[in-house]
Amino acid sequence: MVDQRDEFISEAQEIIEGLSRDLLALDAALKHGPGSGAPDHELVNDAFRAVHTLKGLASLFGVARMTTLSHHLEDLLDDLRLGRVDLTPKVLDVLFRGVDVYGRILSALRAGEPEPQREVEELLMALDAAASRPAFAGVNPLAEYELDPGLLAVLTEYEEHRLRTNLQQGVALFKIRVRFELATIDTALDSLKAKAKPHGEILTYLPSGGGGDADSIELDVLLASRQTLDVLTTELGDTNVTIEAVARRGAGGRTAQSDPPDTVYATVGMAPRITSPPAAPEDDLHGNADTGSFNAPRVVISALGSIMGGGGGGGGIGGGGGGDDDVPEPPPVGLSIRGVAQTVRVDIRKLDHLMNIVAELAIVRGALGRVTDRVRASPEQRELGMELHRLHRSLDRHLSDMQGGILEVRMVPLGQVFDKLARVVRQISREHDKDINLVITGAETEVDKLIVEELSDPLMHMIRNAIDHGIEYRKQRNGSGKPEAGTIALNAYQKGNHVVIEVQDDGAGIDETKVLQQAIRRGLVTESEASALLQREILSFIFLPGFSTKEGVDELSGRGVGMDIVKTNIGKLGGVIDVQSELGIGTKMTVTLPITLAIISALVVVVAGRRYALPLASVLEALVFDPGAVRNIEQREVMSLRGSTLPLCRLDALFGLAPIEGSIPARRFVVVVGVGDHRLGCVVDSLIGQQDIVIKALGKSLQGVRGFSGATELGDQHVGLVIDAPSIVEEVLATSEASRLLGARRLGGGAA
Amino acid sequence: MSTRRRFAQRAAEAAQRRGAIARRAVERGARSEFLAFRMAEEIYAVPIAYVKEILKLPPLTEVPRAPPDVLGVISVRGRIVTVRDLRRRLRLTEAPVTRRSRILLAELLPEQGGSGERVGLFVDEVLNVYRLAEAEIESAANVLGSELAEYVAGIGRQGGEMIILIDLKPILAVAGKPQPPRGPAMLGTRYGTGGGAF
Repeated sequence: MVDQRDEFISEAQEIIEGLSRDLLALDAALKHGPGSGAPDHELVNDAFRAVHTLKGLASLFGVARMTTLSHHLEDLLDDLRLGRVDLTPKVLDVLFRGVDVYGRILSALRAGEPEPQREVEELLMALDAAASRPAFAGVNPLAEYELDPGLLAVLTEYEEHRLRTNLQQGVALFKIRVRFELATIDTALDSLKAKAKPHGEILTYLPSGGGGDADSIELDVLLASRQTLDVLTTELGDTNVTIEAVARRGAGGRTAQSDPPDTVYATVGMAPRITSPPAAPEDDLHGNADTGSFNAPRVVISALGSIMGGGGGGGGIGGGGGGDDDVPEPPPVGLSIRGVAQTVRVDIRKLDHLMNIVAELAIVRGALGRVTDRVRASPEQRELGMELHRLHRSLDRHLSDMQGGILEVRMVPLGQVFDKLARVVRQISREHDKDINLVITGAETEVDKLIVEELSDPLMHMIRNAIDHGIEYRKQRNGSGKPEAGTIALNAYQKGNHVVIEVQDDGAGIDETKVLQQAIRRGLVTESEASALLQREILSFIFLPGFSTKEGVDELSGRGVGMDIVKTNIGKLGGVIDVQSELGIGTKMTVTLPITLAIISALVVVVAGRRYALPLASVLEALVFDPGAVRNIEQREVMSLRGSTLPLCRLDALFGLAPIEGSIPARRFVVVVGVGDHRLGCVVDSLIGQQDIVIKALGKSLQGVRGFSGATELGDQHVGLVIDAPSIVEEVLATSEASRLLGARRLGGGAA
Repeated sequence: MSTRRRFAQRAAEAAQRRGAIARRAVERGARSEFLAFRMAEEIYAVPIAYVKEILKLPPLTEVPRAPPDVLGVISVRGRIVTVRDLRRRLRLTEAPVTRRSRILLAELLPEQGGSGERVGLFVDEVLNVYRLAEAEIESAANVLGSELAEYVAGIGRQGGEMIILIDLKPILAVAGKPQPPRGPAMLGTRYGTGGGAF
């Protein structure tokens, strides 16, 4: 039951994301388009279909409010695509609210709470208000065409609307006759649609009522296009293709096609086979010509000048004329039951499980390597040793491949989050009446699924901040010679084992003086200390809890929550955040994250007889510790490394570890870790080596413990803690910065 | 390793069976089952339904800067489990680890008032299972007035034995209490606490 619900939630989630993308595209088209109020019907259709599917799903799973909501949304979208309601920003607002409320319903479901009632009801009212339906008026252009009333009778409301719209715009009509193999009709029809799309709009396709046999069906496709017949024939047809224009009754409308209508009726009624003989082998998609039937669509174009006419055509047409509330999707249900999608939805926990197995295997591999070395060391076992060695290497390679394969499966493009953010930008910018262009690059950059999930909240906060605090109001922008529309750039790219995400705005920038004033007012620094602060130190105040320079508290931000949570959440993912800002020019927030949390390379070190793993991603280098080179500045130990000052941290002292007897080494090491621009030398007793580890979370009861991002099995049943380098660096540098503030200016300099 | 696993598994299965019986008993309002163990010469017990497994002591990894009653972490079939020392919670004398020392893996689901986290509880020795009728359980309030009262659900008496019944809720409901933020040290901690020193 729980599984089913999860399945429902994740499926609904996907559909809602798709719906959101469609709406965003509609919004973009509306903004940049001619503003004709006529939306891209394909997009509206997609949105309609999404809502329709959701309605079905929701009622299947008894999610009552979602069903009702879908029903009303469906009505509005239906009105949109039938042209009864114009697409305006206001209508889009309501639709976007639908996406939000869907999201809320889903999270309520996930948390096992009842569906939110108030939001749904409010939205339902808004929907009803938006769907006020003006009567559809206008001349009937259909009368001008040689269209069969029988045909008109079976068109769905939507198809008729599209037909009218096209004719009103003076687009010519063409009829294409195609023969499809039943087994492949889905893909063949899609490819025909794809071919026809650049040239016009497919209004409907109905069975021709003839020409089909047990394995094939003949369809008449009605196409509205501004192209000439010649162009269409070249583009859509091959030797088997004929396309005809639909004749117009009006004086100038009659085309060169002057065949008498009678012939037309005859054509349809008798379903003549003006086709080529059965499949030429090169046309046969599957290469099996023995059936004598076609796998590729046979495009048959009759040489006549009218659309499927004749009341008699209705017999064939009936199959396509479903209820008018149906989605205008191809009706031939049950012709192919084979799914097109080649994907499987997998619970991420299953992947975690696989990953654990790989980690266990890696431990076995390590043990095997040691045995191999022993065997190779004994002279009389040399041959056996060599063989073992080869096997071990092969195991090693395949294991790495497997590990890589599983990791790859976990990777999803950041675009998933960016789509959500685009919605947020739209909503907030409208609430604030600020024009904002969101420019996204690198949406295809891939990150571990778990990271993507955790990333959307912090990024949303950053975007909100950029709009609220960053981008100025129009007047102000005009005054400072900036374009009226603000720009927020969302850039993602991979950098080694990390992914970098930047949120950059061309707004007002962060006012350092204001930040300082606030910091002084809150007693965080004294005025004399403040004068000694560097710009990046001042800016880092914005990551303090409850810190905001904005006076007014409003809907969006300025409530003093946000950036500290952003920093905490990013930190939980093993990432760091940096801020750069220039007054009057803009602000850039840079988030650097590991690509995956699942498996990492680590350096295993010994501190006071205990083993710890240091993620290699933060390790810059390791060197022998020379106690003689240590200097003390303000009770802090530092050493020189290639001319710059490296703050030191004795991990045993930091962790409060008493040395285990006899474990005091003659020679120690310094592991230099780097996080962002900060560096820290960690003094350890010895280096054991590099190892791939799977980080496992510490239990909830240890969540308050600082300095560790988790634990891992190091083989031989032993658990080693994984050192959280960013947290250690920050902890140590924080105390040294505090002492620096007391006087010495240079100490933090190595890090700053 | 494999002996331990087999033992653990058997214990778990047995615990499950007993758990089921205990639940049925509770439904009938008759008797409940408690797993008794020894700490510092006293006999304590917890409802057996909450005990998922009994483990021999695997290598423990200490966690620097953890709360004082955390002995360390262990790996149970790939899962990291925090081991807490009941003796430290109850302020008992700590005898050295012997070969009888055990870890009880206990779990209290959120609906039972716990955090849902599986936690290891260190005990000096596991004894046996007691089936106690309601009449055999005394309320703790009559017996204790000390700070231990928080952890004691009642006192069981059977055949001249006195068994202190431990309430696992305050021990296992860690997540319910506000915890300091996890992750990197915040600037907030930096200036917030250090502010007075300037």
